[in-house]
Formats: sequence, C-alpha cells, structure tokens
Amino acid sequence: MELKLLLDWRLHLTVIVTSMFAEWIGIVRIPLGPGTLLLLPLLYAFVIGVLFNPHLFSTMGKVIPKPVSNAAGPIILIAILPFIAKFGSTIGPAIEQIIAAGPALILQELGNLGTMLIALPFAVLVLKMGREAIGATYSIAREPNIAIISDRYGLRSPEGIGIMGVYVVGTMFGTLYFALMAGYIASLDILDIRALAMACGVGSGSMVAACTAALAEAVPASKDELLAFAGASNLLTYATGLYISLFIALPVTEWMYKRLKGSRQEVSHENS
Amino acid sequence: MKTHESPVDQFDAEALKELRPENQLGKTALVLAAVCIAGWFSNIVNGSPLLDALPGMLILYAMVIVGLVIGRLCPFYLPSVAWVSLVSIIATLPFFPGNSWIIARLAEVNFLAVVTPVLAYAGLALTGREFAMFKQTGWKLVIVALLVFTGTFIGSAVVAHIML
Repeated sequence: MELKLLLDWRLHLTVIVTSMFAEWIGIVRIPLGPGTLLLLPLLYAFVIGVLFNPHLFSTMGKVIPKPVSNAAGPIILIAILPFIAKFGSTIGPAIEQIIAAGPALILQELGNLGTMLIALPFAVLVLKMGREAIGATYSIAREPNIAIISDRYGLRSPEGIGIMGVYVVGTMFGTLYFALMAGYIASLDILDIRALAMACGVGSGSMVAACTAALAEAVPASKDELLAFAGASNLLTYATGLYISLFIALPVTEWMYKRLKGSRQEVSHENS
Repeated sequence: MKTHESPVDQFDAEALKELRPENQLGKTALVLAAVCIAGWFSNIVNGSPLLDALPGMLILYAMVIVGLVIGRLCPFYLPSVAWVSLVSIIATLPFFPGNSWIIARLAEVNFLAVVTPVLAYAGLALTGREFAMFKQTGWKLVIVALLVFTGTFIGSAVVAHIML
C-alpha cells in the first residue's frame, strides 16, 4: 500500500472530526425495563464512518475516494495498538490484587470458553454460517478480542465481519441482555450467587456493572460480596482474557469449526 | 462462488502479510503517528487538553514501537497486540522504575477516547463486498451474539459454582 494513501490527510481529518463529534455526543444511557441501553461514542464513530464510506454512498467519493477508503483497512491494525498499550497499563498496577485473587478465579476464566459451546454449533449447523462463525463465537467480542482477529485475519475478512457483528450487538444490547439474563438465572436459584457474580466479570465494564446490579437487586444482603467477586473476576478477564482467547479459545474454535463443517458435509452426502 | 472469491481472498491475505505492522517498521511508525494524533484530538472532549495529554500519548506511541521491534526481532511469532500489551504491563508494574510517573501521564488519556477513532477508520474501510456480506448474515449475527453472551455467562458460572 502506498504511503501517500495511508497518510492521506482527508482520511485522517475525517476520522478526527468524526471522533471528536462522537465524543462530544458522549455516553447515552437509555433506561429500558430492568436494565439500561448504553450507547458509547465508538458506536457513533462507526456509524458516521459507514455514512462517509464511498463504497456505500458513491457521492462520498468526493470526500474520501475509494482508494483512500481501501487504505483505511490496514490502518485499523495499527490504530488499535495504542489502545492495547493503554489497556495493558491498567493491569500492571493491579498485579498484586490479581495474584491475591487466587486460583479459583483463574480457573473460572476457562468458563469464557463457553462462548462457542452453544453458539458455534448453532451458527454452523442451524444458520449455515461460514467462517464468520469463528470470529463471532470464539470470544465475547470485546476490544482486545477484536484486536486478535484483526491481527490474525484482518477486520475485512469473514472472521472480522463476524466479530464486528457481535461487537455491535454487544455494544447496543449487551448491557441490557446481561442484566436481564443475570437477574433471571439468579431467580432460578440453581447456581451459587457468588458464582454468578464471578460470571458477571466476563463482560466489558458496563456489562459487569449492569449484571452485578441485577444480582444485587436479587440478593440485597450480600451486595458488597457480590461486587468484590465481580470486580476481581473482571480484572482477571482483562489480565488473562487476551491470552486465553489467543492461545486456547481461537485454536479450539478453529478445530470445532472444522469438525462441524466436516460432519455437515457428511450428512449432506448421505442425504444425496 | 468459491472460485470467484478466492483470488480476492488471496490478494487480501498477501496484502495483510505485507502490511503486518512489524514487517514495515518505517511505514508503521508514520501511520502510527497519524493515528495517535487522531486519538490525541479525540481525547480532548472527554479526556484532557492537548498539552496535558501529550506525554501520555508519546508514552503509548513508544510502548507500541518497542512492542513492534520486539515482535520483529523475536525468533518465534506472537501477534503484535500480545507484545504491545506485555510491554505496557511490564512498564506499569509496581517495581518498574518510574512506573507511577508513567501511570499518572497515561491517566490523562481517556480509555474510550483512544478506541473511538479506530471504529471511525473501521467504518470508512468497509468495502462493497462486506456490506453485501453483512446484509446477508446480519440477523444471524444478532442471534449468535446473544448465544455467545449466554454461553460465556453460564460457562463461567458453572465452573465457579463447582469450585465454591
């Protein structure tokens, strides 16, 4: 890719103006039933970016010509790196808490692998999805997971489309869905409420908050304990999540996908 | 369909390899500067004024470059994101010299403000092929997403429940 295109001032200026406008709108909370619909600036930035996209609206080619839009693809890979550096800097200072949290919390992180257990077979066998299913189901599709997919396959690959789809759904409805689900499962009274609090920690900040709030609503007496468990679990998710998704979740998802695709082809052979 | 798409995919894969950030450090350093400037401006609204955030942005820039150089020199492959996050974790550990200064400077950079430009680039980078693909699979992704959230929540809760 030519450096002239990568450094095109129209592209970067559009991004700056878009980002500042999105930040200016700020976080919007829409209360909906027991939870809150949470809209973040990055969501508006994505939508505005799409509106400026010359491939969707050809008149936008005057602002961003198509070759410049194509150059934005590889730039995403680089643009996510400063964020990753910022992200790592929240883990270093908390290292003692993470070690003190102990092995119980660490093993619980393996529960994150549950993302693909139901979703991947459903996506491949019922919805007949292709490789988008790998990006969509290997993780909970938060920013670090996007960075991994972007690094491995590129965000413009089928895997990239998959994770961005789940990301957008998670950003818009994740908080609400986590609150609803946690409250409902707590009301079933099957699993230890502290275990549910740890499970709340798997999400992004707003998901954790809504999820824990829903649990605290269900069992007000143990509110502080629940917050501590959820907080420690969330910290651990941030600390280890990147490595678990990279070294365990992604290879396991790839393996399961191949097996599922294989069995589907056999079935279709038998039918024919 | 498959034979029709494969040359495009191949081109993408090759372009991606060529553009792996650590393989073209010179180009990456310049583009990284441009995206850091975008993040720096995005940070004004909910983070800090330009001058206050300048040291923090420069630290992030340096951490990324150090991570990429390690990734380039290292004999085995790890994605650049893993190296960059490792560099950042180590630089903010309690016993790392000057860690409190680094943490204080980075506090001027808003966590969410650095991601906002990334999503703006992502929106601008989508091609016609992807719009068609998303239109085709969009509703499926909503169902899959809800299953993903349910699966990870119940998975974590069951493992934790067994160990408590």
